Amino acid sequence: MAAPASARKRRSFNLFDSIEKPVEWLIRLCGWSSILGIAAIFAFILKEAAPMVPNLDWIHFFTSPRWIPNPATGNEASFGALALLVGTFTTTGIALVIAVPVGLGAAVYISEFAKGKVKETLKIVIELLAAIPSIVWGFIGLMVLGPLVKGVFTAEPGSLWSKVMVTLHLASSDIGASQGTNLLTGGIILALMSVPLIVSLSEDALRAVPDSFREAALALGANPWETVRRVLFPAARNGLLAACMLGMGRAVGETMAVLLATGHSNRIPAALTDPVRTMTATIAAEMGETVHGDDHYRVLFILGIVLFVITCGINVASDLIVKGVKKGNKA
Amino acid sequence: MITNQSIHRGIQAGAVAILTAGLLSAGCGKNDQAAGGSSTSPAPAAGKTIEIRMKGSDTMIQLVTAWAEAYRKVKPNVFVNANGGGTGTGFAALQNNNTDICNASREIKKEETEKVKATTGKDVKEFVVAYDALAVYTHPSNPIKAISIEELREIWAEGGTMENWDQLNPGFKGKFVLFGRQNNSGTYDYFREHICGKKDGKQREFRGAISELNGSAEVVENVSKTPTGIGYSGMGYKTPAVNWMQVSGKKGEAGVEPGIEAARSGKYPISRKLYLYTAGDPAPEIKAFIDWILGPDGQKIVEKEGFVSLK
Repeated sequence: MAAPASARKRRSFNLFDSIEKPVEWLIRLCGWSSILGIAAIFAFILKEAAPMVPNLDWIHFFTSPRWIPNPATGNEASFGALALLVGTFTTTGIALVIAVPVGLGAAVYISEFAKGKVKETLKIVIELLAAIPSIVWGFIGLMVLGPLVKGVFTAEPGSLWSKVMVTLHLASSDIGASQGTNLLTGGIILALMSVPLIVSLSEDALRAVPDSFREAALALGANPWETVRRVLFPAARNGLLAACMLGMGRAVGETMAVLLATGHSNRIPAALTDPVRTMTATIAAEMGETVHGDDHYRVLFILGIVLFVITCGINVASDLIVKGVKKGNKA
Repeated sequence: MITNQSIHRGIQAGAVAILTAGLLSAGCGKNDQAAGGSSTSPAPAAGKTIEIRMKGSDTMIQLVTAWAEAYRKVKPNVFVNANGGGTGTGFAALQNNNTDICNASREIKKEETEKVKATTGKDVKEFVVAYDALAVYTHPSNPIKAISIEELREIWAEGGTMENWDQLNPGFKGKFVLFGRQNNSGTYDYFREHICGKKDGKQREFRGAISELNGSAEVVENVSKTPTGIGYSGMGYKTPAVNWMQVSGKKGEAGVEPGIEAARSGKYPISRKLYLYTAGDPAPEIKAFIDWILGPDGQKIVEKEGFVSLK
């Protein structure tokens, strides 16, 4: 009985031995797959956009808000993407103005002040927030937040609130916001979507500050606020900045939520509650029915490249900032 | 160090997520279109399989596809291949014998009739199969109930002069909030052609700042939430939460209430006929298909798709 058992053992050992190499390669491939994926995606969008690159009026593209990709018979198409760029940057800007203070505040609370069960619960709930699909966020923007924003930004013409809104460019007309789906609604939804990312990355950065820093601050008689502001923030500065930039990247690239929540109207907003239209939403809304290979199709891919360049820029910038941490530590 | 690594990981994950988001949604759209292009799969072996090729109007593609699908249940051996591309493309295909039926959202032009005659030797046959009527929707609280085509032009066309409701009626304040369809829809084309009109022999485009929405029902939904809103959409999408405006051809004329009878009679200015054209008398199986379209079953589908039926 003993002999066959040991033979089986040896055979199985040989089996593992023979598959070791392929498995090693498989794991190596997994490691490289993200780089391969990025290269393939970039090659694809570049290939689809390439024939249009020399033919596109680039100055018009970046300076005109006239986006008429499907002109009437006999008219020339106009690919002016200025309003789309402005739409993307304004919604992202509003998202950051809201998400950065809230996200950093939440991270400080979770990392420095919350204890035990509260801390664990908060962390789990914030991760749950990150798991909500973007289309659900868009739906909330359209059905819940939109009417709320419209309700707040509504006034009788001539009333004080109406004058305040017009003077401060909160609304472009004296009756207030024309529709619930607008720049502000889109920005708030994007903020809610980037907060979880900012919180968890910032919390990582704060936790990485050695406890000896906190102890030293305490020994010097600093109160908790002084510890956070004078010791933890400077020490974790680069990590926090990188967290915010990734939150910004999340906001720039978001598609479905902004398609539903911003009003999808091609214009340069004059007030906080004007509807806008982003580059991502334009690609999503128009790509489905373009003729494969025509100018409109290719210009949408050029919009994709512009987005790619923006997000890559953000990522490289945050990467450099993180490298700055390393240098700082060595010095 | 842990911080740095986790941020690095975050950077990579973030980059991939951002990139795929936009492109994936674009890719899905393409697949949808491919699925819509040819409507039905080839028939199972139930006698000889007959293919009917239809090409033309993008406005009608949903309707034609719905007909094709329903007709499969009536005649399982007839395979209707429905394609869009535009009415002009459909007429070109009819000349080159690349299609059996041209779906047209306008009447055939004289030179197109002549070309078909020249290349195929046959006269075109025309079948009116439905009416398409667009209603101009407003909020129920809006006191302005009638409008003319000229006023609509100033509101919607590029370079138009109307920005505020009080230009129509001093008693109603606020800017026009415009809701339309996305720029590749047939409804967008039709409204642009009928409302924006021509300037120096060229079709005028829509102005900017119109919310371009991806569905007819979405236009109505948005208007119902916007007191100063105005939007165009198919007549079939009316709900109690919105009003539709009476439209007159010229300023000063009495507006015509949209409605099925007004659309059929041609009194309502934003309505048109939808046609099918064949080169010469259609072959028996094609004739049977067209007869079915003109019959009660085909016309029921017309109403279901948001158009106005013949009777």
